[in-house]
Amino acid sequence: MNDSTASGDVSSGNQATPPPKSIAKKKRNLPGMPDPDAEVIALSPKTLMATNRFVCEVCKKGFQRDQNLQLHRRGHNLPWKLRQRSSKDVKKRVYVCPEPSCVHHEPSRALGDLTGIKKHFCRKHGEKKWKCDKCSKKYAVQSDWKAHSKICGTKEYKCDCGTLFNRKDSFITHRAFCDALAEETSRPASVSPPSPPSPALSPPPPLPLPSEHEDSTQTDVVSLALPDNNNHVTEILESAKPDSTSGRVLEETPLMTNLTSGSSSNGSSSSNVFATLFASSTSSGSFQSQSAGFSNLFQAIACPDPMPATAPSSSSEPVALGLAVNQGSSIFGTAGQDHVQYPPAPPPSLSATALLQKAAQMGAAASNTSLLRGLGIVSSSSSPSVSHDGASLASGLGLGLACDSGSGLKELMLGTPSIFGPKQTTLDLLGLGMAATGGSTSGLSVLMNGGLDVGRDFGGQDIR
Amino acid sequence: MKADVRGKNPSPTISSMQNPSLFTNSRSSISGAVLTGCLSSLDGACIEKLLLHCGSALESNDVTLAQQVMWVLNNVASAVGDPNQRLASYFLRALVSRASRVCPATMSFKAAGIPHRRLMSVTELAGYVDLIPWHRFGFCASNNAILDAVRGFRKIHILDLSITHCMQWPTLIDALGKEPECPPVELRISVLSWRPPTPPLLNIPIEKVGQRLVNFARYRDVPFEFNVIKVGGPVEEEETVVSSSFYDFLLSQLNATIVKVNVDEALVVNIQNWLRYLPDEETSLSDSSCDGIMSYRDSFLELVGRLSPCLVTVVDEDCDLGAQSGLASRIVSCFNYMWIPFDAFETFLPKDSPQRIEYESDIGHKIENIVGYEGAQRIERLESEGRLCRRMAAAGFMSVPFGEETVKEVKALLDEHASGWGMKKDEEGMLVLTWKGHNAVYAGAWVPYAPAFHQNNLLV
Repeated sequence: MNDSTASGDVSSGNQATPPPKSIAKKKRNLPGMPDPDAEVIALSPKTLMATNRFVCEVCKKGFQRDQNLQLHRRGHNLPWKLRQRSSKDVKKRVYVCPEPSCVHHEPSRALGDLTGIKKHFCRKHGEKKWKCDKCSKKYAVQSDWKAHSKICGTKEYKCDCGTLFNRKDSFITHRAFCDALAEETSRPASVSPPSPPSPALSPPPPLPLPSEHEDSTQTDVVSLALPDNNNHVTEILESAKPDSTSGRVLEETPLMTNLTSGSSSNGSSSSNVFATLFASSTSSGSFQSQSAGFSNLFQAIACPDPMPATAPSSSSEPVALGLAVNQGSSIFGTAGQDHVQYPPAPPPSLSATALLQKAAQMGAAASNTSLLRGLGIVSSSSSPSVSHDGASLASGLGLGLACDSGSGLKELMLGTPSIFGPKQTTLDLLGLGMAATGGSTSGLSVLMNGGLDVGRDFGGQDIR
Repeated sequence: MKADVRGKNPSPTISSMQNPSLFTNSRSSISGAVLTGCLSSLDGACIEKLLLHCGSALESNDVTLAQQVMWVLNNVASAVGDPNQRLASYFLRALVSRASRVCPATMSFKAAGIPHRRLMSVTELAGYVDLIPWHRFGFCASNNAILDAVRGFRKIHILDLSITHCMQWPTLIDALGKEPECPPVELRISVLSWRPPTPPLLNIPIEKVGQRLVNFARYRDVPFEFNVIKVGGPVEEEETVVSSSFYDFLLSQLNATIVKVNVDEALVVNIQNWLRYLPDEETSLSDSSCDGIMSYRDSFLELVGRLSPCLVTVVDEDCDLGAQSGLASRIVSCFNYMWIPFDAFETFLPKDSPQRIEYESDIGHKIENIVGYEGAQRIERLESEGRLCRRMAAAGFMSVPFGEETVKEVKALLDEHASGWGMKKDEEGMLVLTWKGHNAVYAGAWVPYAPAFHQNNLLV
């Protein structure tokens, strides 16, 4: 079965153990997974690029391959003992790449044969001297170039829409669904619906709306909170519509721009969700201050490196934003019908700053505060978690644990900004400060100093 | 193969531990090794260890340890780094959302901080499934096996249970169009109106997809019919989690009448990346026809057997992440499995390629579910090849090895792709797609044992 704890060695079985001697056919090791018993050889770049490595000792003629040299030597009519290759040459050899930054430089990632390492070196670290004349592709290894030239432009499939394919099945699949085909044939009547689609299940018109609609706010709201269920799409869209304007207001707020980078980044969607939530219960006048408070909060939590404005690279932010987003979405999930209504606890005019202070007060009653509870969101839907003071953080973490020294996720969040640029105002807002939690100070300071041993056993026990 | 993170500069504030003794935790006995040293030579094995420790910590409710590890992972992970870093960033996201969840019981798994799941157009999806042979392998193997099995039949009915919105069928329709038989073979494809809520997501309903297939079949002169079997969404509208009552409902709906099994048709049940969404927790089901404990997955397979198909093709991902696995082992298995597609992308797509990023975030979505949730909300319950074979056998199926032609076709397909993809055939006749030797996706074909096996349950 899958031996998943053996890192890196899960394979078809011919890697971790040496192949048994009884196998007649020579087993071919896969690229990058060499035989552990093999001898590792490192050749110089010059040797790898050289073409005639094997030289006949009789006539000094050079050959690219050893077997060619042997064939040639036969022609010299050498006496028997000189004809034989030395027997100690049987040992398996693997070759490493001389380029230090290459992954195949490491002996455990050596390649199995000389031709392979030569080709690899030329391909990856060599100059591309061979150019295809039909297309613009360049190759460093001649055999690659030859192989490409054979197929370049030969098997080409062109769809009516203009797209080119060099593989038949991708062409066929594309063609079947291409608009060009749909227009070519008349509208069909042979689809047999088993029954007229009921309103509950048929795709309602708003469904295509998110993909075409320019407003990313709506799209993000839809996608964040919903399953693949059309009804939810309808409902969310309808209730989200009135908030689209406030969503736009949010996007224009300069403080939030670093979070709304990219039209479909997670950061924008999560902050827009929050905007929508707050918008329904606040006037747009206090919006600016709210967003300011939240942006401080997000900055405090979020990771330090502000990623460029592309969706995927904002993953460092969503790491913590995910915390906040969860809360917003928990409203969707737990509040049932109240999709966009903010939980009733805070009065509409409360700014984010005030909310956090209130959370700090609430939290002071309990043994600790979690940021999550501090946002006042938990109180609306999960009252049991508020009543258990000892387990408050634990249920705040959704783990159902007994909390220990008051450390926990807040330290994760506080510890990080302390290192990467502390925002003292935010820390104070949470009512925790640096000295508030005595027991956890040590943990916090160690975190700040970055001292953390990772490579050793964590729990003093070998968890594996 | 875990790539080395070379030359990665740890944050300048990470220096040697100043006060190791302060770092007292009843469980940990942290020795004096320096974090800098670990980070500078961080590779997949190290990340795996970190994830394992985090998982164990969450399992054993060690909150402190968990957040410490997450902090370290946060420094390592990067959505634009090498495959290990990218993968780690998705894992970290899932772990953080898990640890910070407030109300686990009623959360939708989609509501966590995952990127916006874009709805693709149907042509984009066509490109998506052909980016790497991950899906095409299963399509090719299954389609060829289907063509072999239905030879001689005049009518074919395929019950398609998959997550790729019928991307498999154009090549089959095309192959049928090429057959020089007259009159041509009639094809009918049925899909369910419900689909597991997982990427890839399409911006048009399945009915429209079917319409395009009908168009295409007409173009290829293949008599074709497309049905959508209404099984309803989750029973309550507010329920974003598929509950067990839905599965009960689903199973009760899948009988010969609703599926419209005709005796003059060759019935094929094609299950592609779908079986893993059926719960495999063993519960005693009140209406199960056999005594003993069965899971929904087992019940479903029995049900399929009762339909008397002439072939059942199953394609799925070769990893064990089912109900029985604990969090820590699941995290490790998932990490060691998901690096396969990440590594494949690294090989031939640039770091900022939008297709690659989309594919990776779809995988991130799965990771989010696998790592971040438990119980009914964890819908991605992958099962390895071996376990599936045993399950099929227990459900009354015997395996049908793939023919030589099929093997040749699949090999030809893989030759057209990047050179790390390979294939192996195991002794049961299943085909497995491999990347650099690691098992990725398996494809298998089965037939039920003699109809007498299911005699008393025929045609409910």
